[in-house]
Amino acid sequence: MTQRVFDPCGVAEASAKPRAPRLESLEGRRLAVLDNTKWNGGKLLDALVDQLSRDIRFSHVNRYKKETFTKPAAPELMREIAANNDVAVIAIAD
Amino acid sequence: MSEAALAGPAVTGDHGKLWVDDDVDLAEWYLAQPWSDGLPVVTPTPEKVAAVVQVLGGEPQRLECRVPPRMGNLTREVLAINIVLAGAKPEYAPVIRAALLAMAQPQLNLNALQASTHMAAPLVIVNGPIRRQIGMNAGCNLFGPGNRANATIGRAIRLVMLSVGGGIAGELDKATLGHPGKYTYCIAENEEESPWAPYHVENGYAPEDSTVFVIPAEAPHSVTNHVANDPQGILDSMVSAMSTIASNTAVAGGACAVVLGIEHAKMIAAHGWKRADVRSYLWSNAGNTFGALSFNHRYGKVYNRSLPKWITRERDSKVPIVARPEDIHLFVAGGAAGRFSAFIPGWGNYAAPVLRAIDDARATTANCNDGTCSL
Repeated sequence: MTQRVFDPCGVAEASAKPRAPRLESLEGRRLAVLDNTKWNGGKLLDALVDQLSRDIRFSHVNRYKKETFTKPAAPELMREIAANNDVAVIAIAD
Repeated sequence: MSEAALAGPAVTGDHGKLWVDDDVDLAEWYLAQPWSDGLPVVTPTPEKVAAVVQVLGGEPQRLECRVPPRMGNLTREVLAINIVLAGAKPEYAPVIRAALLAMAQPQLNLNALQASTHMAAPLVIVNGPIRRQIGMNAGCNLFGPGNRANATIGRAIRLVMLSVGGGIAGELDKATLGHPGKYTYCIAENEEESPWAPYHVENGYAPEDSTVFVIPAEAPHSVTNHVANDPQGILDSMVSAMSTIASNTAVAGGACAVVLGIEHAKMIAAHGWKRADVRSYLWSNAGNTFGALSFNHRYGKVYNRSLPKWITRERDSKVPIVARPEDIHLFVAGGAAGRFSAFIPGWGNYAAPVLRAIDDARATTANCNDGTCSL
């Protein structure tokens, strides 16, 4: 004998999105750095760019800033980053 | 028998229905689910779920909204299951639905609220006749236990955030600490004892309309003042509670709530002060200096970078607690005795609170002038 139970979660409709192809090397590439405007996000990115630049020669390092860290970047900003860069680093820091 | 054996696996049968063996303890089964809030639930039955769906208007598969960050579909049937689980009565369902629809508004930013490392939880404050119709507590110990409507309306909302929204601790809910209001956080304004027009009337609704107000909020902070017999003295205690540099409101502005206890509210009103006077006084006096909020740059030029542009970035510049007096949301509530009020900091300027009708009422232009409302 069985008894019925109820699932309160509902259906989440999602479609899988493929990841961008990984780069084999960062040498000579255009690096985007996206500041999420958190208190220490900019500091984290500065330190990261300094460290990466010791071993890698980027052709450009382009800096961008989100409106707020609590929402995704504006679509036009994401399009601009994608159009003008090969790789992007975003900050998560408090 | 182990807890896992008591809980048992579920098998999907016809039409997606779930079944467990007869010897499974259902109380343990529901407690073992990842979306559990850690408290026992009322076991749903088809009859109980159908009764709630009927109050919601039938059509069990009708989509009410999607709940972030999981973006699960909140159909009427799914909402009804959560309402039953929470122990809520069917007649509470319109309040719960209205609060969730308010939370689905983009300005409430539920996606980030659910995932935030901050402790904020949506605080729901109910106005209008439905408070009395469903027996809500707007009086003694209204933030505390003892009233089924307050307790289970807030709990049902949280269960939806956990189950449909996926805000499970450590997974999509990244709160460092959380706070007890994440179990349930729902009150009603004490319109009967308030010396002023109700909150929703001040905001353009008719007294016979019922509304929910939702604000992402920290826990209430007691404001004690047994001494003052004038508005300034009482409100200076509130100003002190508001002017910490630690709350998210102090750090990041946005909106906050002030709940005046009955004795405090009546004392203030006896001196002719209106709601707008209270808000303006608090706004004029609560806050910090830019120097205090930036630790006088002891740690570099680090401060809230979304601080309004009009605030001068100088050590002695005054930074009001919120950008505008109307960002202080003022309510009157609580028991008849006791000179206590509460300050409830918000989440910051990452979200704006939402006021929404429970039925189809629409706000019109408030018949208020400088905080005085015609009823």
